Order: sequence, then C-alpha cells, then structure tokens
Amino acid sequence: MTQTNPPFMSGVPELLLLRLLDQREMYGYELVRSVKAVTDEAITLGEGVIYPALHALERNGSLNSRRKDVGGRTRVYYSLTARGRTRLAKLADEWRRVRAGVDVALEVPVGAGA
Amino acid sequence: MPVPDFANVERRLLSAGTAPSVAQRMREELEDHYADLVEAARAEGHSVDSARVCANALLGDLEVLVHDAAGRPELKSWAWRWPRLASTVYPVAYVLALPAVPIAAGVAHAPAIFRWAGCMLAGALVTAAIFLGLQFAILFS
Repeated sequence: MTQTNPPFMSGVPELLLLRLLDQREMYGYELVRSVKAVTDEAITLGEGVIYPALHALERNGSLNSRRKDVGGRTRVYYSLTARGRTRLAKLADEWRRVRAGVDVALEVPVGAGA
Repeated sequence: MPVPDFANVERRLLSAGTAPSVAQRMREELEDHYADLVEAARAEGHSVDSARVCANALLGDLEVLVHDAAGRPELKSWAWRWPRLASTVYPVAYVLALPAVPIAAGVAHAPAIFRWAGCMLAGALVTAAIFLGLQFAILFS
C-alpha cells in the first residue's frame, strides 16, 4: 500500500532535534544554536517554539530530560531514548522519500507528465 | 524594552489545558533561554535595552508558542484528556483530603501542638485542684 505523505514541513524541526540529540544531550538554547549551525542558518525558528516540540517528544517517550546545575543556573538537558532513535530513523526515511520525490519533480520539464 | 511576560505565558498554557508541570517547566526554560539571549547580545556589545530588543526578536512571538503547545494533545493535563474520570476522581480525592489536611497540619506542627496540649492539661489540673480544694473547704467547714 502506498504511504501517504507525512506533514513533512511541520516535521522538520522534530527531525532536526532528534538528529542533534542523537549526538549528545543538549538544552534548549544550545539546540537552537546547533540547528542554526548545522543548517547554515537556512532554517531559523522563532526560538521559543522549540519548547513545545521538545516537551511533546519527551511526553511520547522519544526524549528524556534531566536538570543540571551549570554556572549557578539550572538547565534542562534533553537526550534521545531508544524510542527516539526509532522515531529518528522513521522520520529520516520519510524525509529522504519526500526529498527524492521533489527532486524528481524538479528534474521533469513542466508539462512532460501531462 | 520590557521583558516578556513569561508568567502570562504559563497562565495561558494552563488555561489552554496544558499540564501544570509542562507549563511551569516551559516557563522556566523560556526565562533561561531569554537570559542566555540577553547575555549573548550583551557580550556582542549591545546595551541592556538593545540586548532585550534582540532577545525578544530571536525568541519570537510567544503567542505562536502558546498556540503550538495548545494544539498538542500530548501536552494536555490528564484532567483535560479524561474529563469524566477527573469529574469522578476529584470529588472523591477532596472528600478523602478533608480529614487528612488537619492531620497533616498537626504532624507538621507537632511540637507547637504538644506545647499547647501540655499548657491546656496543666491549666485543667490547676483548675481541678482549685475546685477540689473549694469542695473540701465546703465539706469540712
């Protein structure tokens, strides 16, 4: 059965967060800086909106969080769980499939498929 | 430039049905994130006001955040997700808590309550002794 396309654009922040947290644990501010760095600032988010995404990922079991005192401030560090790794693999596959489809569409001359 | 009203964000999240633990922690994280942004702008040489303007711009519209969080069912409190269960559990919990609250308060203030009880007992003994003395005085007069 053909899979329907996931809401790929709305899933991009989630994919990036999971990918970055697969490397090491990070807190919100650090994650936003990393998103900017790894995407060459191609993807810039209103930085606050990262938190609903992080909390939602934590609630569905993809992330763990822990509080850590750093320089007199308490930071909430997020790390990936086994379930998060599975989710990351699934999202990455979906993203590659969508990207491949879009690439094909961009290569085909307009009107050729009609 | 005023600091964003993070307390209002927490209130808005709660009124949208977000779990209290999530709303509180999100507020703390936003405050921390904002402080980091201001600190980074100050390190680049901005004045306090200018640093706040930069931080506000980077943090983005907090209404969007509230709207985003409100649209995620997994962030809702259990009472919002299962209202019928909540309307059953809450009254029962309150009835059970009614006797528990004074007991818990008593345990928390045990030394003061023991002192008070000791004073009352001493007072009662003194009063009883005076009445007994009066009674004997009447009997043997």
